[in-house]
Amino acid sequence: MSGILVVQEAGRNRISFEALAAGRVLADLTGLPLETAAVGDPNSNVFVETSGPPPAAAYAVQHPLLESYTSDGYVLAFEQLIRKLEPSYIVFPHTYQSRDYVPRLATRFGQVLIGDITGIEPGPTFVRQLFQGKMNGSYRHQGDGPCFLSIQAGAFRADAPQPGTFTIQPFEPEIPASAIRTKPGAPFRGSAQTVDLGSAQLIVSVGRGIKDADNLPMVQNLATALGAELAASRPICDNGWLPMERQVGSSGQTVAPRLYLAIGISGAIQHLVGMKSSQCIVAINKDPDAPIFEVADYGIVGDLFEVVPALTEAVKAAKQ
Amino acid sequence: MLSLAATLAEPQHFSLAEKLLLIVLTAASAAAFWRRFGAVLDKIRQSKKDPGFHLFPLGRRVWDFFWEVLCQAKVIRQRPLPGLAHAFVFWGFCAFALVTLNHFASGIGVGFLSPSGPFGRFYFYLAAAFAFTCAAGIFGLFVRRFFIRPKWLGQKLSWESGFIALLIFVLMATYLAAFFVADASPATRILWWTHTLAILIFLPIIPHTKHLHLLLSPATVFLSRGGFSQIPPLVGDEDFGLVAGTDLTQLVSLQAYSCVECGRCTEHCPAANTGKLLNPKEIVLGVRAYLNDLGPASDQSLLGKYNAQEAVFQCTTCGACEFQCPVGIEHLPILIGLRRGAVNTGAWEDDYGAKLFLALERGSNALGISPSERDKFIQKQALALFDGTQEYCLWLGCMGGYDPKGREIVADFARVMNYLGTSYGVLRKEKCTGDPVRRLGNDLLFQQLAEANLEILAQSKVKKIVTICPHCVRTIQEDWKDYGTPPPIEHHSEFLARFADKLPKQITDETIVYHDPCYLGRYRNVFDEPRAVTALAGTVVEAPRNHERSFCCGAGGGLTFLGEETGERVSHVRAAELVATGATTVGTACPFCNSMFRDALAESGEAAPQLLDIAQLTARGLPKNEAV
Amino acid sequence: MKIIVAIKQVPERDAQVRVDAAAKWIEASDLQYALNESDAYALEEALQLKEKHGGEVIVVTAGPERVGQTIREALAKGADRGIHIDCDDLESRDALGVARLLAAAVKPENADLLLTGLQSEDLGQGQTGVILAELLGLPHASLILHVEKTDSGLTVKRELEEGWFQTIELPTPAVLTIQSGGNKLRYATLMGIKRAKTKEVRRATAAELAVDAAPVVLLERVSLPQKQKSTQILPGTPKEAAAALVEKLKFEVRVL
Repeated sequence: MSGILVVQEAGRNRISFEALAAGRVLADLTGLPLETAAVGDPNSNVFVETSGPPPAAAYAVQHPLLESYTSDGYVLAFEQLIRKLEPSYIVFPHTYQSRDYVPRLATRFGQVLIGDITGIEPGPTFVRQLFQGKMNGSYRHQGDGPCFLSIQAGAFRADAPQPGTFTIQPFEPEIPASAIRTKPGAPFRGSAQTVDLGSAQLIVSVGRGIKDADNLPMVQNLATALGAELAASRPICDNGWLPMERQVGSSGQTVAPRLYLAIGISGAIQHLVGMKSSQCIVAINKDPDAPIFEVADYGIVGDLFEVVPALTEAVKAAKQ
Repeated sequence: MLSLAATLAEPQHFSLAEKLLLIVLTAASAAAFWRRFGAVLDKIRQSKKDPGFHLFPLGRRVWDFFWEVLCQAKVIRQRPLPGLAHAFVFWGFCAFALVTLNHFASGIGVGFLSPSGPFGRFYFYLAAAFAFTCAAGIFGLFVRRFFIRPKWLGQKLSWESGFIALLIFVLMATYLAAFFVADASPATRILWWTHTLAILIFLPIIPHTKHLHLLLSPATVFLSRGGFSQIPPLVGDEDFGLVAGTDLTQLVSLQAYSCVECGRCTEHCPAANTGKLLNPKEIVLGVRAYLNDLGPASDQSLLGKYNAQEAVFQCTTCGACEFQCPVGIEHLPILIGLRRGAVNTGAWEDDYGAKLFLALERGSNALGISPSERDKFIQKQALALFDGTQEYCLWLGCMGGYDPKGREIVADFARVMNYLGTSYGVLRKEKCTGDPVRRLGNDLLFQQLAEANLEILAQSKVKKIVTICPHCVRTIQEDWKDYGTPPPIEHHSEFLARFADKLPKQITDETIVYHDPCYLGRYRNVFDEPRAVTALAGTVVEAPRNHERSFCCGAGGGLTFLGEETGERVSHVRAAELVATGATTVGTACPFCNSMFRDALAESGEAAPQLLDIAQLTARGLPKNEAV
Repeated sequence: MKIIVAIKQVPERDAQVRVDAAAKWIEASDLQYALNESDAYALEEALQLKEKHGGEVIVVTAGPERVGQTIREALAKGADRGIHIDCDDLESRDALGVARLLAAAVKPENADLLLTGLQSEDLGQGQTGVILAELLGLPHASLILHVEKTDSGLTVKRELEEGWFQTIELPTPAVLTIQSGGNKLRYATLMGIKRAKTKEVRRATAAELAVDAAPVVLLERVSLPQKQKSTQILPGTPKEAAAALVEKLKFEVRVL
């Protein structure tokens, strides 16, 4: 037996379908058939929809002890499924969940997960980022055992989702109660009161260019449209236009979100030190020489009072 | 009526009973005096020896003693009227030494100064002149303390000071009155005994009050460490700074006991002037109280009951306190010593402080920015790299290398150096000089940075350094000496001033108020050079507090990295003072001052004066076709 | 509590990394090294647990001579002793190979708790701790921000995606991988460094530990990514620039 098994994660359809797309690339390279599996009821959302051509087979892994995720449960379940199907490649979406159990699973087979892959090339060779994205590394799998892979979010473009039209086979692993050693609690949100810019993924930040507190709602609209947190440089907070806890900079918070949108911020060092580690920095400022452009990935030189509303409209349209 | 007798009247004869009484009272007074003074001397002697203390060369010490103690130069210069009054009191005491000795000697029949003899006559009249000025002086000081009540003397009225003033006045008055009575009159005897009792009461009071300075401060001035903010080395594996009483050294103890509570330090302290907890006078008195209560062998923490940790970390190390002290107290080594005690043992828990330390533990600069940013700047400005052949190494520092404004200053200074044909280069790699961590008391990190940098300089074969930042200058020249031999370094104001005649004089009606940076002015005594350079670009205007009185911008001592201040912002207070001069431009010579004023001046909106470093002012005058 | 913290010495975070001559790794000649960031948080968590409950904190690391510096730093911050696994060819081992070395070195210690950082700043695989748990046959939890000792073991706070969290209970002995940011890190102090001079560092060689080194996953080659970071100024009218930006946000940055 041989083939590619793509493991999907219920509740995370988008990245699961991206993993599926990666699986298809691998299938094209190797000529191997593609199957999917996921923990859950055959009626659960990850089976109801799929993206692209249907897999050769789909497995719904079910067991009462798998209702809450535990690494012990999932490792046991998938170990048994893999021993049954004997795939050559097992592809996972790179999520907090797979990071938690797949390394253990791979060890059971004397294998090592090649994780957070951004590209699959002939060989097959698997590309992943090193040194926080400063370099790429090309990895190859050796030996006869199964090859475990996990796919970075957004690295592969998934086809549009459509209703699934394939047979789903149930698979019930044997999991003794004593095997589950951890007791997970129910997920909960962090405290809603305090602003935790440190964990915000998207931040829209406003500086002196805004000129007046009355202009803040315009920026707030953009933040809301993006689903971002609002932050500010020091003078805005000093003036009391926004609370101190929204300050980013040397005397405020240090943040590293995926997107930092700096509006009307010049980029003084006291502010830069608080946000320079952001993954993507976008700056909107009317001064082409503003220091913020030195650190920005994308910049718009223009009047923020025109750009921001236009951007808000464009974002809303894109999200529809 | 009062008529001036020929000379000082004294009782001609003392009875045996009187002589015995005099001996007994004198012995009692001396014993009471010694009981306390001896104890103080013990505490000082039992304190740890000062490492790195050298008595020789004596030249500076003798000069300081002459100028500051005998001439009372600092006392007068920094507070003229009260200073002069005090000087007269002091000179009066000096003149009276011989008189007092003779007074007691004659009380037991062995007087050596005769009022009728030529020397005696002359001397007693001389002393009378001093007595007059002394009495006038002490009276004036009394009025100042009890009626004018300047806030630097504290809220509480000091009855002890009032009593001592009274005693001194009585001493002078009884002496002067003796010129108006006849030898044989009973008034003479009364005056004589009043004078004697006043002295015998004064003597034991001295060591119990701040008047201890009468005896200690000449020694304190003579024995001071020298230099400015001279931080002593740590010795051995158990020395972490001023943690407990056992760490207090003899100099620190001597200084703590010498404090006269004049409040000159507090008067000029930027923290004390902006509503913060820190009060330099109280820091010194806190150490004194600790010594009084617990002594130098105690292992109880110096911070806590006697001095607040919060206060100690509000110091910008501007040095106004140490500069002002008329009795030779060196506040900065004490404050930094207390910080060392807290930081080197991990007792200081501060988010921003930890962030600064962690950034420097892992990286090369205090701002936590990738060194590739500095490389990009060097490339963009096409600054030559130092290759061992150029005359100067241009040290960028953290601000010059990473701060947008600091970079502009460097770029303009480079333009000027190009114009002058100076050969220079910048190092490929620099680490922070360690100034903020040195002033915050992190000796581990400072050693690592100093040693790494000294290695870089040695390998690069740097012979001379010039830089735009006074903090770098001070740290490289003085503080790195603990770990090696740094090459000579100068500040760009000193460099530019040397070439002032080769630089274009700008025709303009601009007025430029020059702000003396603490680390250039008080620390390095460089006041004229930056003014000479500024004068090329406009008319130099002085802020009310200038030269050694310059009011700190608030960034020093690592404070610029420490987040929110309590009370008013030091930078805003100083900026307001500079703006109030009406000058069109604020001239700075330090990138930190520049950074602090930038925010503060922005508050003034459209009407704010320009803010330019002296390098920028100079570059402005260069012919337009100068390439960078 | 006997706590073992596995730490890694990695090239300094902001180091300029260049591909070496063989294109198999980075040019190491003028690199500066430092303690991996999430390992620093793991160490901090261990030290705080020791301060609360007593016990011992032991740091273990594998690598060449230079990693001794990182062990000393950890001792200076408060760890009690160190284990240095002498290994000059760390790069040629895969995650399983490294975990096997660590497991062999720590097994005789019978620790109550083993902590590692979430992932390393160089390879960033985030697996060593999890594999270690499997090799030692211990329960584990990953992405942990906070650890509390209870009568029956541990209660830990785990980070989930999108601002959610979860509490997990597990027995000791266990392995936890610690996420950055859960605690405030302490800075190294002079006192710490002086005390560290007398603390024990045991050395073990890779050979002594007799561990299977043949890798199943091989890093064949390293290369610079195509796109370098440079500012793209989006031109046009506000509407055009906004539209261009949204394109970028959707497909390049992938936040829409």
